[in-house]
Amino acid sequence: MEVEPIHEQVQEKIEQVDSADLVVGVLAELGPEALAAVCDALQVLPGSPRVVVLRDDRAAKPDQSSVAEAKRSASSCHLIFWPLLGSATPGTSVVGTSAAHQAVFAASEKFGARACCVIASTLETAAPGWIRELAQPLLERNLDLVVPQYARRKFEGLLNSSIISPLMRCLYGRRIHNPMGPDLGLSRRLFQKMLGPERGAGVGGNSVHSLASVAPAALCENLQVCEVYLPARIYPPTDWMNISSLVAQILSPIFLEMERNAACWQRTRASVSVSAIGEPVLVSQDTGTVDISRMMESFQLGIRDLQEIWGLVLPPSTLFELRKLARLPSEQFRMPDELWVRIVYDFALAHRLRTINRDHLLKSMTPLYLAWVSSYAHDVETAGRTALEERLERLSVAYEAGKTYLVSRWRWPDQFNP
Amino acid sequence: MWSQVKQQLAESTARFLTRFANLLPGVAALVVALLISIVVGWILAAVVRRLLSSMRFDDHLAQWGFPSVAEWSPRKSPTLLVSRAIAALVIVTGFLIGIAAVDAEWTSQLARSVVAYIPNMLGAAIVLLVGGVVARFLARSVLIGAVNLNLHYARLLSLGVKWMVVVLTVAMALEHLRIAPGIVKLAFGILFGGIVITLALAVGLGSKDLVTKSLERDAQKASGDNLEEPFRHI
Repeated sequence: MEVEPIHEQVQEKIEQVDSADLVVGVLAELGPEALAAVCDALQVLPGSPRVVVLRDDRAAKPDQSSVAEAKRSASSCHLIFWPLLGSATPGTSVVGTSAAHQAVFAASEKFGARACCVIASTLETAAPGWIRELAQPLLERNLDLVVPQYARRKFEGLLNSSIISPLMRCLYGRRIHNPMGPDLGLSRRLFQKMLGPERGAGVGGNSVHSLASVAPAALCENLQVCEVYLPARIYPPTDWMNISSLVAQILSPIFLEMERNAACWQRTRASVSVSAIGEPVLVSQDTGTVDISRMMESFQLGIRDLQEIWGLVLPPSTLFELRKLARLPSEQFRMPDELWVRIVYDFALAHRLRTINRDHLLKSMTPLYLAWVSSYAHDVETAGRTALEERLERLSVAYEAGKTYLVSRWRWPDQFNP
Repeated sequence: MWSQVKQQLAESTARFLTRFANLLPGVAALVVALLISIVVGWILAAVVRRLLSSMRFDDHLAQWGFPSVAEWSPRKSPTLLVSRAIAALVIVTGFLIGIAAVDAEWTSQLARSVVAYIPNMLGAAIVLLVGGVVARFLARSVLIGAVNLNLHYARLLSLGVKWMVVVLTVAMALEHLRIAPGIVKLAFGILFGGIVITLALAVGLGSKDLVTKSLERDAQKASGDNLEEPFRHI
């Protein structure tokens, strides 16, 4: 009953606006003033592009009047409440965020936009004007994908640091720090690809996961990619009860993309940097000791109870290494990068071969991931910014060095089993 | 009178010998049918074994999601299981053919009752198969979920769930086969109840530490100690 008027309103707005140069989808929780500031920031882009700002329709609450005010102050910036998140709760569901990205791409296509941006994060220090940084290279330099390089704190974005970024760098040959954004800028060419029939449904009829598809799609098509330096992102606190679901939600689309783009990434050899716009933002790093007991306990339990499942996925040599690690005292616990990289590759392969149920597979990886985080926490506990970068660079190099192992196992899963 | 007794004895002996002589060709046919079916079954089993081995049936079966079939196969080889099942089927068929040579009426009665029982056997086999798959899936789900929740009795929980499903499945299969239904119901009730009570006790006792830890964490939070963990995953 409540949905109807919003849809009517959307239709009305589409008719009013007709077309736009830039569409900005706002998934982050921005107040009316911040939205007005976004409009103001985008107005100063060269050529005064016509901008449509899409806000999730569930944010269409009482203060619509102040939003309208914001609209009046910027005549070529229109704010429309749009069903972006569907039934997902903002900030909690990776699948929901991916679907919201897809909704922004579809809306951009509807408005015939030259480019679109998705704003899904709240940053620590930046004014809403940072959104202009994402949009500007798309409109001015005709780039196809603008990804953020957030200022990095050592214990934040750990799934990205441990798997997503180094894996994508090794697979697709470009050193992108945050390939899954979630704040992204896309050219018309790229968002049309994301809406195309081959991206409409994933491998084996799996649902759309735009976040994991964007960077691989751009890189495999040799599109122009750049990074923009942004302040540190505010990450949601860890929900330890659901960490395994989070790991599964993130890794599943990445492994599906690997399957889809196998021909592309098997051709890629070395990696190169991508150009970055702006100046790196420095953030303070904590140097105190951290409590890793919970993660170590999870790993020890995994070694005790999950070996039967890991034995279906990992070769005996890897299992032997893990058993050796489990006997080490907590303060000496270090997981070699080579071992971690092989584990990730073996799980990717098992995902492809459907060795066991995919959800079981990815959730059973959680104790291993937490073991890596524990080892990493030991390594960087007292590290400064440079040491942190060096540590992560070593990991990325290990991913690249292990790529021959991945390619061999991928091509000959039965024959090549160390 | 004595001559009448002698005559009766001679007649009954003759009748018995005649019937026995009539039966002999049938028995011989039964033996021949059995021998032939054993030879045919052995040859067929060898062919199937070789065919399945060349197809790497054992590996594929594990990949298709039935690794547990190997566990209850002879020498852990599903190929051997299939080939032996085929051989047994051929031999049973040969035996039935042989029996038909001895007494057609008795065989037809046997065949009728066997055929009437086949749907029950099929139903029981399907119940067992589905139950096995469901038990394995649920056991694995519970094990992984419990380990990820840092529960120390994860394996016990998983085993409990697996055996609950297995017991339920076996009871349903026996019900289908109409084998001792009264005993099955009683045994099922005792076993199922026993497993549930065991699990409840184990989880209750095992949760003691978990609840203590949780309460300690709440108390520390309330007293203002900084428990904020720096780890952010996504």
